Order: sequence, then C-alpha cells, then structure tokens
Amino acid sequence: MSGKEQLFQERFKRYSVAMECGKPDKVPVVFPLGEWVIKYSGITLQEAYYDVDKATAVIDGVLKDLDFDVMFGSINLWWPPMFDAVGCRQYRFPGIYFEADAGFQYVEEEFMKAEDYDDFIANPTGWLVEKYLPRVNDEFAEPGSYRATVALIKGAVGFAMHNGKTAQVAQKWRQEFGVVPYGTGMTKAPFDTLGDSLRGTKGILLDLRRRPDKVLAALEAIVPHNIAYGMITSAGDTSLPCFAPLHKGAYPFLSLEQWDKFYWPTWKKVIEGLWALGKRVFFFAEGDWTPYLERIAELPDKSIVFCIDLTDAQKAKKVLGGRFCLYGGVPTTLLTYGTPQEVRDCVKRAIDELAGDGGFVLAAGGVVMGDAKGENIEAMLEAARQYGAY
Amino acid sequence: MAENKVQVFVPEAGTCVPWKVKKEELGQLAGNEEIVKREWDKLDAFAYAFIWFWVQR
Repeated sequence: MSGKEQLFQERFKRYSVAMECGKPDKVPVVFPLGEWVIKYSGITLQEAYYDVDKATAVIDGVLKDLDFDVMFGSINLWWPPMFDAVGCRQYRFPGIYFEADAGFQYVEEEFMKAEDYDDFIANPTGWLVEKYLPRVNDEFAEPGSYRATVALIKGAVGFAMHNGKTAQVAQKWRQEFGVVPYGTGMTKAPFDTLGDSLRGTKGILLDLRRRPDKVLAALEAIVPHNIAYGMITSAGDTSLPCFAPLHKGAYPFLSLEQWDKFYWPTWKKVIEGLWALGKRVFFFAEGDWTPYLERIAELPDKSIVFCIDLTDAQKAKKVLGGRFCLYGGVPTTLLTYGTPQEVRDCVKRAIDELAGDGGFVLAAGGVVMGDAKGENIEAMLEAARQYGAY
Repeated sequence: MAENKVQVFVPEAGTCVPWKVKKEELGQLAGNEEIVKREWDKLDAFAYAFIWFWVQR
C-alpha cells in the first residue's frame, strides 16, 4: 500500500467512525473546495468552469500543502459545454452571457405548468422526456429535427464525458493526495425537486393554496425516483453518504404546518428508502432547521449526516447527538468576513461544544462563497488539527 | 424487432425502457440473455440519470 493510499484509508476510517457516531482518533476536518480557490489562481472563472483540466491543476496546487480528511464541494459542478450544446435556459455561464470573471447564474421559470400536474403524476419520466426537456433546452424545441437530435446526442455524450472526468479526477486526488470525498451520488427532497426546477418557487407557493392535492400527489410520485436517482448516481456505493441539497425546507420558508404537510413526509420516505438500501443521506441543511429537529430525530439512527449551518448547534447536539453524525461548526460568513484568529476561536468552540462524544465532523456549515479568504480556510484546517485530538 | 411489438408503458423509477419490456419485444434470444440484460440495464440507468439530472439540481 502506498503512503497516500494509507493516508486515504486513515482518513476514510476517521470519517466513517464519525458517521457511525463513534469517536475516531481525532475530529475529521473537511476542506471546502469552491470558487474562492480561483481568485488566487490567475485564471478566470470561465476558464475554470469550461476547462476541467485547468481547474484540476489549480486545485492540485492547493491540495498539496493542506492537511485535512475529507473534501466537500466542486468548481466544475456544472460543465458549461454540455449546457451550451443543448441550449439550456436554466443556467447562464461566463463566456456566452457574462464576462469571464463572473459566476454562473440560475434562471428560474415555471417549466412545468399548473395544468401539467396530472400528466407528470401519471408518468414522471415520460413527461420529463416529452415535455420538460424540450422546454428547458432550446435546441430540443422541435423533437426529431436535425438540431434536436444532434443536441440530444451531444448532451448525452457531454454528460458521460463530464461524469467520466469527475470520477477520474477523484481517483487522481485519492492517489496523489489521499483525499476522501464527502459523499457519492445525489438526491433531493421531493418538495425541492418539484419546487426548484419544475414548478419554480412562485409556482409551488401558489400551488400550496390553489391545488394542494396535486402537490401532494406529485410529491408522492417523485419519492421512488429520488431513491432510485440517489442509488444510480452513487453507482451503488454505500460507504459514503448521498448528497442532498435542501433548498426550501429551511425555516421559515414554509410555515410549520406547511412543512409538516408538504415537505417532511415525502423527504422522510426518501431518506428511509435509501437507508433501507444501506445508503446514508448527507442532509445538507443550509439555513435554519432548528424548529424541525424533533421531527428529524424520527429518522432511523445513523441514517443521515446532519449539516449545521444556521441551525442552533447546541440544540442539534441535544436532539440529534449520539444518534446522528453532526457536521459543521464554522459559519460560511465567518470564512469571508472574519479573521484567522476569529476562525480559530470558532473552531475551538465548535469542537468543545459538539465533538465531545464523537459523531462530529468539523466543516463549514454550507457552501463556502467565492469571496472567502484563503487564510481563513487554512486557519480552520490548522485549528481543527490543533484542537481536534481526542 | 417488428414495429407493431413496441409497447406503451410507464417506466418504473430507475428505468427508461426496462429489460422486461424490451425482452417481450425481442422474443426468444439466440445467445446469452443475461449478458445482454446486464449491459442493457447499465445503459438504461445511465439514460435515466441523464433525464432526471435536469430536475435534480
């Protein structure tokens, strides 16, 4: 076994023990990869998004000097050439739409209309193929045409190329730096699937009052798909958790009653369904989830890694601690606006309050923004090692 | 495959065109069905991920 593979195995064990609510040799610490890396690199965001090899080289330069256990995040989450090929209306990237140093933007529309509910519920995958894809991708506007067929081919090939490249890079980072990825695969809460990219925020909020039964039926129809999607995108892996970015479940986006009725029941089913297949969920609870902690505690033991962003950390520890791994401790805003000393103090405090019994991973509580300071990230990692030994 | 054998169906979660549907359309296979099925399932799952990718973001 190479030195880097041994390092990988040590870190993987540390992370795995914490996810099982145990106490490893030290608190696992997470390196938050993100666009902040690019501002120190001399390349533009457009170059970083479009050219995976160039972005990878930049990240290589950062990784070689850092000591951490797990890596979270991505610069190349969306690969613009694939979106360009299909004429995607949902995203705007630097290059065609923005200057080279601008970040990408998501453009929300009601791509699923209120009158589409019945057809979607009856055959979700069929409806996506026949109705949704031509609506979100301009090149698919005339299915069967030369342009649409070529774009479909290019889109699918681009999807395969980018997935292959991503897997290749993960393997390279394992071999060269002993990097453990935070998770494998992706899923969502059915409410977010419906509310983010199908009905859109405005659409689903109106639907809660105008057609609640349709919403509930659609959410139920999505449940098996979000279980299947999580397993397929994990390629069957059950050693690492499945990423679940939770957008509209944070308090107070929905009222407590709405959350209980519309958000939680089907999201709980997805988590339980994945757990029945041996797959843990990376419950990426950006924002404040404090009012829902007791409901989240209904989940099977160890079935999630609960990420603390603005949720009351001490209450999360009290309600979820010991039964679920807790993840976080460092606010993303502190990494942008704080000083290295403030970050170190925060890390010490988080470890003192949350790590005592094990089952804790020190990390930023959400996606680290593009304006985060490199010296603060370094301070977070160093302090985690300084204070994190059990 | 004869065109009139193409079935109308609602694909289950995780599938686009399940092997059981395709098998009925093909009828008896001359060679090793398991090999054909295994690779069919892999590509079908990949296509399913591509379709649902657009709403899982």
